[in-house]
Amino acid sequence: MGQLFAVEVVYRGVFQKTLAKNITRDIVLAAHNEGKLGISFGRYGDAPERNGIPAKSFAIVANDEQTLEEGMAQYEPKHVDLTVVLDDTLSKGAESWAWYGLQPVHHALKPGATLIVISQEDAPALLKNIHRRDKAYKLAILKGITSFSGMWVFKDDHTDVRVLGAIASALPQLFSLNSVLQFINEKLKSELKVISARNAFDRFSTVDVPAGQGNPEELFKFELPGWDHMRDGVSIKGQPQGGPYADPVTGEVGGFRPARNELFKKYSTRSMRPVVNFSTCTKCTLCGLNCPDASFDITPDGHYDANLESCCGCGICEEVCPVKECVTMVNESEFHDNKSQWEAFRKDKDAYLNWLETTIAKASPIEKRSHGFRYRGQYQEQVPEALEVARKG
Amino acid sequence: MTTSTFVDEKPTQNLEPFKGVKKVPHEEYYTSGHRTCQGCESAQIMKLMAKAAGPRTIVLGSTGCMYVANTSYYSTPWGVPWMHTQLGSSGSAALGAAAAFRVQMRKGAMKDEPINVIAFCGDGGGADMGLGAISATMCHPDYNLLILMYDNESYANTDIQISGASPYGVNTSFSTPGKVKRIMNHRWKKNMAPLIAVGHPTVKYVSTISTSYPLQAMNSVRKALSVGGPTFIHCLNPCPKGWDFDPVLSFQLGELAVNTGIFPLYEIENGKLKMYGKSKDIVNGRFKRLPVRDYLLKQGRFAHFIEEDIEYFQSKIDETWDKWLVPGIIPLQKDVEAE
Amino acid sequence: MATLTLPVEEKKKSKINEQEALITGAEAIAIACKLANVDVVTAYPIRPYDTVMQYISQLVADGEMDCEYIVAEGEHSQFEIVKHASVCGARVFCGSSGVGWMYAMEALTVSPALRVPMVCMVGNRALDDPGAFGVEHNDALAVRDLGWLLTWVDSAQEALDTALIAYRVAEDRRIFVPLAISCDGAFLTHSQALVKIPAAELVKKFLPAYNRGDLLLHPDNVISVAPQANEDWVMEIRRQNYKVTEVACDVIREVYAEFEHTFGRKYGNPFFEEYMTEGADVVLLGMGTMSTPVKVAVRKLREEGKKVGFVRLRWFRPFAGPEIAKCLERFKAVGVIDRDFSFGSPDLSGVVATEVRSAMYSSSSTRPPVIGFIGGLGGREITVPDVETMTDIVFRAAKGKAQPLTQWFGLRE
Repeated sequence: MGQLFAVEVVYRGVFQKTLAKNITRDIVLAAHNEGKLGISFGRYGDAPERNGIPAKSFAIVANDEQTLEEGMAQYEPKHVDLTVVLDDTLSKGAESWAWYGLQPVHHALKPGATLIVISQEDAPALLKNIHRRDKAYKLAILKGITSFSGMWVFKDDHTDVRVLGAIASALPQLFSLNSVLQFINEKLKSELKVISARNAFDRFSTVDVPAGQGNPEELFKFELPGWDHMRDGVSIKGQPQGGPYADPVTGEVGGFRPARNELFKKYSTRSMRPVVNFSTCTKCTLCGLNCPDASFDITPDGHYDANLESCCGCGICEEVCPVKECVTMVNESEFHDNKSQWEAFRKDKDAYLNWLETTIAKASPIEKRSHGFRYRGQYQEQVPEALEVARKG
Repeated sequence: MTTSTFVDEKPTQNLEPFKGVKKVPHEEYYTSGHRTCQGCESAQIMKLMAKAAGPRTIVLGSTGCMYVANTSYYSTPWGVPWMHTQLGSSGSAALGAAAAFRVQMRKGAMKDEPINVIAFCGDGGGADMGLGAISATMCHPDYNLLILMYDNESYANTDIQISGASPYGVNTSFSTPGKVKRIMNHRWKKNMAPLIAVGHPTVKYVSTISTSYPLQAMNSVRKALSVGGPTFIHCLNPCPKGWDFDPVLSFQLGELAVNTGIFPLYEIENGKLKMYGKSKDIVNGRFKRLPVRDYLLKQGRFAHFIEEDIEYFQSKIDETWDKWLVPGIIPLQKDVEAE
Repeated sequence: MATLTLPVEEKKKSKINEQEALITGAEAIAIACKLANVDVVTAYPIRPYDTVMQYISQLVADGEMDCEYIVAEGEHSQFEIVKHASVCGARVFCGSSGVGWMYAMEALTVSPALRVPMVCMVGNRALDDPGAFGVEHNDALAVRDLGWLLTWVDSAQEALDTALIAYRVAEDRRIFVPLAISCDGAFLTHSQALVKIPAAELVKKFLPAYNRGDLLLHPDNVISVAPQANEDWVMEIRRQNYKVTEVACDVIREVYAEFEHTFGRKYGNPFFEEYMTEGADVVLLGMGTMSTPVKVAVRKLREEGKKVGFVRLRWFRPFAGPEIAKCLERFKAVGVIDRDFSFGSPDLSGVVATEVRSAMYSSSSTRPPVIGFIGGLGGREITVPDVETMTDIVFRAAKGKAQPLTQWFGLRE
């Protein structure tokens, strides 16, 4: 058997669909410049993709047909030589359409292989989110603003070629930088992209992550029952009704917490989260009423507390809130748990409000990430800034 | 309200309107855990619909986003009984369920009570494939049911293809602009609510709603479930995925669709037409329609439009308000009447 | 198996209450629906099945039957309406013919997995094109692999009895799948015969109320039915429907036994009827009303000393493979008459011949030759002389003389 390479790209559904497909296609084409053969495919189980819901795209490359066939003789690669994560908030794990439960972002990564994450954070910050594993691996950070666009308009901010350059450095056996540059010159015909790819190659560095280092969180799982243990008539139990709950300080019971789906929590879809200033909240109800995911718990004292186990971070609550700076969407990568903000507020009001201020100040998403198409011409405005952040590295 | 009705079906129950957002009950019958997109307004109308209908309800959902993305096997957001129905079957599903309840209650095999039967369909299931079955169902005045069409203006579940309710010129997987043809969809959006109201005089209640006006939307559902007989609601639902916009804009785009006059809000109850919200202000001249440009250019699906396309779109919208017999609703030319 | 036994005097009473009427097969099924107190019926016109709906509308108009009688706008809706009514707890009846049945195909396809015990009448009709009213079995057979139970009857009496049996079988909690009763167009749907109509109180005893239990779609039972499933689930769901076919034969046997007990009419083996097979060297096998010319021919041939018999298949799904093989392996050769086609199938045979061969292959030690005959398509007559010629061919095969495995009869050359 000859050499076989499997690369997976973990990305945000729809927002990064085109980007991820481009990258896995480009990997095959770049490797082909060295006479290698390969295939590229998006995971069927993720389709039809939904905004933000984690998805995967794969490239399988080999130096001869039979070896390639061995790589193709499975639904998707179980072990990959390289995992590329296109949004650092995915490092908290992925709950996809394709399975039940939360999977660590390095789920399929071979021992000792490299995990590339596009992020503006540093390794210690990312390792607060990336789950620990029992095998060591290498972590590489490709500095840059997360590239989000949508179904029809693509933001061409060179993320694709920068990833190629990084891969050439992380996995030189797959393809050399020259093969990448040859591909860019022939297919993409862009001098600027040649520079971007080369920079990514030159600046590439990794840190060794020993076994056991990282986020200790227990991942939630679900065991699939056998056919004779399933309800017949293709039927399942519906959701129960929610109810009131207790104030952590006074113990007073009230408010309302809807029943929440235990089998699909959806929070790994979130790249931004709402933070709520309960001291300015007028209890107008609009955030809760307009939340498509019924993600607000109505607290015993009548506030609206975003339940971060089910919130997928769409930002509608911020949009509909009539109070200035009551609900603010902030960059998700700043956070390392899904704890209730209201409980923190109840326990220590001042500490919470201070935390809120600093969090909004440093995690205000505007320069950290874009969340898709807002107006025509927006991407053209954003690309120079993205290239600048990338150039600085 | 039962004056001058074409059919004398009695109201089934009286679901009082919610008197303000703070009076809306907390209970959720469509909760979290669905796999819809961030900022999915179609999911939002499911939540509002279930909330408005309450616990004595069954929901029949035809194939589409609100089937596939809503419920994954072993995982469902529904707190009331829900069943998948085929893409073209929302009408038949509602009819079958309503008939079953009616006969079993008559024969004493089931407790006699008003049970809300709601079948929803997307614009693909409603305005295209399921139109025949919906039309047939709307002709059965003796069955109490509601058909709610959530309209995200495409076959969104199959990765966005044009439907009969897609807007002119829109970019979809089946109408992508190319090197030679910029506009691949030359169809104008199907005018569903008037089609149902005008074509089915026995229907006592038809309305258009928007998730950007949640209270009116819920109260419209409650009225539809009270008047008796088959009823129809058309809800416009901005779709962050297919329309290609930042999910945070979902709510705003719902408002813009109304404020630009593209999607008028009205109820037709017992033959009486009543505009409401900003649409009413537009008719009364109290509000000037915003240019459609404000709406179109916030969406990637129209990013390929050139000035000429925007102007054409604007001119057609103007025509619906200035030339139509019933502004924004009934596409008969006023001057025809004059001749 | 809990069987129902009636006090002697009640049996007498019921015999007295039993009436006789001259009715068509379609009318017989309409009367069965009335006796079964069906809740929801949907109709849509297409020959030849639709006469059943004419009779039901009359029964409703005359106040003899209390049900929701809905005329749909097409077969797809017709079947979707009863599908949902059944899920909401109603006993339902529906039916169609030919391309009408095909127009409903999507609804027919989804019903078995949803465990919907809808009972339908198929008035067998040739599939378009060309438009043709005559009988052909391909319409009903189109659902043979989808989890439906399929039965063929050959008399108005059997049509009525089988309709009652059908509700008892389909609504058994172990089954809960749709069931189609096939009646040959014209020969059965449109010709009248004397039929014994059982007493209502006996039917009541024989047919308990439909109880959907924990699958009922009602506000008191908060379930979600048929959520989207990925590759983690579909095989398990298919396996659940296989389980139905695993037990179907036993359930059918039980129900026929109870039917005989209750009404005193005997059908013997539920899955097939044997006619003059005693001491026969060869047999013919077929479904539906072809039984009349075949039986006449068999009697004639027997008088000539030719030892031939006839096996009429009643249940095609479930296909009682081992029993059928056990029955047929007694003979030196078998001739299967198909009133259907299966283009491109093994030996270019009809559907029934192919199934019989496959049943013999796995369940028979002797495996006598199985000769396939295709005839009576589009309502064409299967004549007594045809059957005699078929029999000669089967005898030749029995003597070891190689015969073509499929031959067409009544065809103009």
